[in-house]
Amino acid sequence: MTQQKPKIAFFDFASCEGCQLTVIDSLQTNLELLNAVEIVNFREAMSEKGQDYQIAFIEGSCSRKSDEARLQAIREQADIVVALGACAHLGGVNAVRNRQPLEDVRTYVYGNKADWYETYPARPISQVITVDATIPGCPIDRDEFIASVKMLLQGRIPKLPETPLCVECKLLENQCVYTMGKVCLGPIVRAGCKAICPSFGDGCEGCRGLVSEPNMESLKQVMAEHGMADQDISHKLDLFLTYQMMNLENEEPK
Amino acid sequence: MTLLKDKIVSSSLYVPVQATIRDIRALTPLEKVFSLTLPDGMLLNHEPGQFVELSVFGVGEAPISITSSPSRSNGFFELCVRNAGDMTGVLHQMKPGDVVGVRGPFGRPFPMNRFLGKDLIFAIGGLGLAPARSVINQVLDERGKYGKVIILYGARTPGDLLFTDELEEWDRRSDVELHLTVDRPAEGWDGNVGVITTLFSHVQVYARNTVAITLGPPVMYRFVLMELLGKGVPEGNIWFSFERRMKCGVGKCGHCQIHHLYTCKDGPTFSFAEIKHLEGAL
Amino acid sequence: MGFRVMPKSAFPGWVEQMLQTYRVVGPRKIRDRYMFDEVNSPGDLDLTYSTTVLPPKKVLLPQHEELLSFDLESGKMEAAIDTQPTVLLGVHTCDLHAIRLLDAVFEDGYADQHYIARRQNVLLVSLECLSPCTEKSFCKSMGTLSVTEGYDLHLTDLGDSYAIDIGSERGQALLELTENAQPATDADYSRLNQTLSDKWPRFPYRLESDITELANLLAVSYDSDLWEELGEKCLGCGSCTIVCPTCYCFNVIDEVDFSLNAGSRIRQWDGCTLSQFAVVAGGHNFRSTNQERQRHRFFRKGKYQMEAYGLVGCVGCGRCAEACLVDINPVDTFNELSRRRIPMTRRHKEVLP
Repeated sequence: MTQQKPKIAFFDFASCEGCQLTVIDSLQTNLELLNAVEIVNFREAMSEKGQDYQIAFIEGSCSRKSDEARLQAIREQADIVVALGACAHLGGVNAVRNRQPLEDVRTYVYGNKADWYETYPARPISQVITVDATIPGCPIDRDEFIASVKMLLQGRIPKLPETPLCVECKLLENQCVYTMGKVCLGPIVRAGCKAICPSFGDGCEGCRGLVSEPNMESLKQVMAEHGMADQDISHKLDLFLTYQMMNLENEEPK
Repeated sequence: MTLLKDKIVSSSLYVPVQATIRDIRALTPLEKVFSLTLPDGMLLNHEPGQFVELSVFGVGEAPISITSSPSRSNGFFELCVRNAGDMTGVLHQMKPGDVVGVRGPFGRPFPMNRFLGKDLIFAIGGLGLAPARSVINQVLDERGKYGKVIILYGARTPGDLLFTDELEEWDRRSDVELHLTVDRPAEGWDGNVGVITTLFSHVQVYARNTVAITLGPPVMYRFVLMELLGKGVPEGNIWFSFERRMKCGVGKCGHCQIHHLYTCKDGPTFSFAEIKHLEGAL
Repeated sequence: MGFRVMPKSAFPGWVEQMLQTYRVVGPRKIRDRYMFDEVNSPGDLDLTYSTTVLPPKKVLLPQHEELLSFDLESGKMEAAIDTQPTVLLGVHTCDLHAIRLLDAVFEDGYADQHYIARRQNVLLVSLECLSPCTEKSFCKSMGTLSVTEGYDLHLTDLGDSYAIDIGSERGQALLELTENAQPATDADYSRLNQTLSDKWPRFPYRLESDITELANLLAVSYDSDLWEELGEKCLGCGSCTIVCPTCYCFNVIDEVDFSLNAGSRIRQWDGCTLSQFAVVAGGHNFRSTNQERQRHRFFRKGKYQMEAYGLVGCVGCGRCAEACLVDINPVDTFNELSRRRIPMTRRHKEVLP
């Protein structure tokens, strides 16, 4: 399979750019990647700005109307669009605000300058454009990023892992954090992060998104039995999963 | 002569042999026939109803039924593959001369010697023609050993019919009865429209001497079964080939299990008599 | 053949001797849990361990295992066969029974050379359990509380010494690494017998049916309402199958380098309680609900494996019960099925055509 090196580009929307930093970090141990692809646009790492890319990696959620045109322009240029990280994938932490009246949020953040800033409920980029593949996580996992790029080079589309985090955690022989009096979203959240939070004794916060068939009711009951009030359970589920939860609950952003 | 089967016993049952793609033929936008040769004159030596584990190295491995009949394997064999997943997607981009991996042949073949002298009725849906073709051509190459040969074949649209050149050939033969149907007709289609069970009214069989071979999507099996039982075909004479996730091919990985049976080694061919007590099998 | 007795004070020296020739894997305490792990010095071992998160199965069938490597450029393809001589030390009897099942599975039909190569190079030194390791274990009910075969050496704690049964010539050779294992005296025999008879009442029977009845119980329970109830509770997290010593289902994936032409084929653990386990290429899921998946799991444990290999498919270790957040476990499941037992006559009338 001899092909021309595909040109790839990175773009960011509402995000902390931590996923792009992870990309840069992954290059340290995978320099061959630079021989396999040509990076033409990567604000975080270089000043050139090529516009003739085939694969676009997009970090960040869409959080204002004016971002939609920019997303659509990327979609038109790219053969393949990849959502990079929890914000692009799920709306991320940015979507926490979707449960509050938008005006209150704007005033809270920007005070009397609220009118100067455009905003609307944060959403995954898949709500604006068609997304071909997703690399989940906050931030993304560097090895998963590399594996996904290899799949794209092979002409494949990487798929989100369907395995729940519990599997990965057990394979590592972690002690379940529930036995340490903590709560964890592991049973309903996608694996692939090497169970990094539970490995350090913290419960999963859900940054990689819900598996396709999460048993929400059963897990809520487990959390309640571990002493969490309804309100605390909602907050736990809302850190990364607000957008998915509001969808499951058929609730519209305020 | 080295057999492919001996190869996997010698080093590791998971190490495929590197086969070369000698020819690729597109049947529809989704289905292609890959003709493969094994290295060093090695023989596949399969029987109708068996499958191989096909690898695209670096991508993965999947079970694929063998579509060529043993009677027509002159140093090569054929696999008809739908572009349906990860591995098959990459396979569809490959060219003649490229190398793929093969392990097998695996699975219990159809018991052809029990079919001798019987009237054969094939009820085939969609991609089911791929494994069925292996049986049909074997039968046609030893035509005198069997009674009537009746082939019922249904596809979604006329454009989805596979192996149309061979369908025409079978249709021309006086010793084969071929009935086609499609779910949705297209311009120029003057044949039957409807699901495969609508073809059964055209068919006359001597039920007790009939063997039915049913190959197609899972949803089809129950309906075809009711027709066959309704015509009085004995339970032990109604044969299926089951699709399951036969990841390892050798009854170890667990994915293809139906109750206590492993589809990959106890099947994929089963008679209704063998599986009728197994809920969820059909 | 009789047994040998080794003072506990000599045990570390024996392990030191093993470490000269073998990789030694045994129970270690790491933070708050025990796990089977490689031992660097005798002090790493803790034979008083209760249970481990994962069973010692992982030594024979690693969680992530290279099956072969390939390089299409050179056409080279090589099976990865691991023959490292290993002593697997401190295996509880339930886990030993589980290994017997794995042996049967991987030797059946086409033999799995990867498993067998490892197995042939692993010496099993098992350990008699003297009290239940957790509240969830039910080995006595499953008939796995004792062993008479399947080990190379078998240790029983006699307080200040170990009684050591020799199960094979390899085991005998391993024991000869120490000069401190003496033939048992009459006093040793009575101490061992006393220890074994004292331990028996410490273990409760927790299953209300005999294991010989389990297959029949399940045969009539396919349509029990219980499966629906378990399906509603089940989180689908897969923990039960991952921690199980008799589960061996696996998936195989490829990993490549950036040339895309060279890489490895990897075997990794999978589990039938995971949602995608029975999905085929077209997307159809042959067990699409938690209910069906839990039922399949328990049928494997209580029926299918017994029928296929004549060995129990559940060894009563209790790991799955420890791991389950919604308290689905074999004891309650089998006991509840027994209480709700559907008469065969009714099943014939209502279920079968």
